[in-house]
Amino acid sequence: MNTASRWLIALGLVLATAGILIDPPHAEAQEVQVTGPLAGAPAVRKMRIYRAGRFQIQPEFGATLVDEFSRTLMIGAQIGYHFTDWLGVHAFFDYGGDLLSLNTDLTDQVESTGQRTDNNALSLPDPAGFDKQIGRINFLTGIQATFIPLRGKLAMFQALFVDTDFYLFAGVAFASVKERADIKDGTCTAATLRRARDMGAGAFDTANRECIATQDQTATRLAIAPTFGVGLSMYFTDYVAMTLEWRAFPFKWNTSGTDEGGMNKGRDPDKNGPFPDEQIDASDRTSQFNQMFKLGFAFYLPYKGKITK
Amino acid sequence: MTKSRIVAWLVLALGTQVSALAAAEDMSFDLEETEKAGGEAKVEAEGGAEGEAGAEGGASAEGDLIGDLASEDATQPNAAPDSGPKPTEVSEEIYAVQQVYALRNNRIELMPSFGFSLNDPFVSHNNVGVGLNYWITNVLAVGANMNWYQGLESESELNFHVRRSARLATRPTEFQFGASLNMTYVPVYGKFAMFERYIFQWDAYLMGGIGIMKTRPVPVVDPTYRSFDYTYKLSILNPALGLRVFLTKWLTVFAEMRVYPYLEKLENLRVGLGEEKRANKKAWLDSSSTLVFNVVASVGMTIYFPFTFDYKLPK
Repeated sequence: MNTASRWLIALGLVLATAGILIDPPHAEAQEVQVTGPLAGAPAVRKMRIYRAGRFQIQPEFGATLVDEFSRTLMIGAQIGYHFTDWLGVHAFFDYGGDLLSLNTDLTDQVESTGQRTDNNALSLPDPAGFDKQIGRINFLTGIQATFIPLRGKLAMFQALFVDTDFYLFAGVAFASVKERADIKDGTCTAATLRRARDMGAGAFDTANRECIATQDQTATRLAIAPTFGVGLSMYFTDYVAMTLEWRAFPFKWNTSGTDEGGMNKGRDPDKNGPFPDEQIDASDRTSQFNQMFKLGFAFYLPYKGKITK
Repeated sequence: MTKSRIVAWLVLALGTQVSALAAAEDMSFDLEETEKAGGEAKVEAEGGAEGEAGAEGGASAEGDLIGDLASEDATQPNAAPDSGPKPTEVSEEIYAVQQVYALRNNRIELMPSFGFSLNDPFVSHNNVGVGLNYWITNVLAVGANMNWYQGLESESELNFHVRRSARLATRPTEFQFGASLNMTYVPVYGKFAMFERYIFQWDAYLMGGIGIMKTRPVPVVDPTYRSFDYTYKLSILNPALGLRVFLTKWLTVFAEMRVYPYLEKLENLRVGLGEEKRANKKAWLDSSSTLVFNVVASVGMTIYFPFTFDYKLPK
């Protein structure tokens, strides 16, 4: 225990002792009767309790942020129950998929100006087909605890007033990701392609076709990730609120479908050995701080919330 | 050390509460004190406690309808017999319209901050910044800000990976600093209660302006020959959205997202043949400019000067 803590304890004890022992003058003969308008009033009067004891059903729309190769739009829903006005549990499901994902500008640039040689054929079998090999998020689901520490109201343009709360959440997420399938059989390696080239045009065409075919092959897995974030709920009625939410769900995945295991940015071999290892596998997954922004409309049941005295 | 601090604070809080409890028994508020707040009281109040109006603005209690209504009832208990415990009344004042927590008009705001870029996956443009605003009204300010980037930026792994895997020359840009003249408007404000105990005042603000960015391309296509100096570019509009939370009447914390759009000439992808052409500086940059959006997220604090201020109108 440090000196500051000791002083604090000593000060607290002195104050406590003084409060008990020192006889406050006139205290015993008085009976306080509060007769003003605030007599017996609680800290907040007639406060609407939006969450305690109520279920929340929330359709939502979102989009991933700061993506390298593919941006995913998501539609989904969130359901939850609140034990108190400041604590609840929620489950969420957001669907993305191929139809709702957009290529980033970087993906377009690789498709239009990326260069393929025998040395990088495994990473980029065909520049024009690069968007087929990039990783995408199929769906994101999970459960979380929601903590609502701040409750208040805001005024817009000094005219529109809405009840608002600020919440934090943390939990576990399960992300279904589609990545380029593992390639460990030597297809697309520089040695394979050079050998085929030496054997003649026909052999090279066959080897090249096999290499390009790997670009379409994908595998789906479920990645487990922590999830956390913050949000703002604005209550338009007793049972409808608009929510703005930022969510993070970091995990490792191969966003580009390229061979990344091996040498790092500092040109040093990493734990996967020298680069390239000429395989597409789990060692090519890199840490990604995945994040998304969501807009939702929350409906609370039962419709009528409590109002404090 | 954390545990011991928690214990220490608990003991201190407990001590304060016990002391306050004892003191509270002795508190008395009556009509005379309320009148004293207006400067008209003839009888000195026993506890000497004054309403907040008296403490802050010297406002008169006259004209306070609810206070007056409450004070009418206050005459009854005074007629209690002298013997036995003496009842004391409490006449509290409430106001139909509360004063704004912190007035800003005619105050100067200093805003140190730390920021990072949101939209450049190749280079992380970390920066430190400072802003200075003069508040013309409570919701409108003019000012300037500057962000310093040089020495704080870092190139991402992605750049390295893309070059290696796709043989694609991504052409990053380095920033030295950016500065802007700004106007700020506060359209949204409100307050939050934490655990129904602590009240935080906050507001959201919009900002825009015009400024400069001093930047240069990073040579990646032909770094042997090419090198670039920092040059000034004009950034216009510079829209921003921010959130400010008041910790005291002169200190706040804020978070802000701002876009600095500007035109940048990136490094030329074409390399001339021969040393003479490679050394030709006129061929180092693209002939056309590219519109770059530098999106910066910042967090920081604001300090208002002077620290204190006077309310014009009574409470």
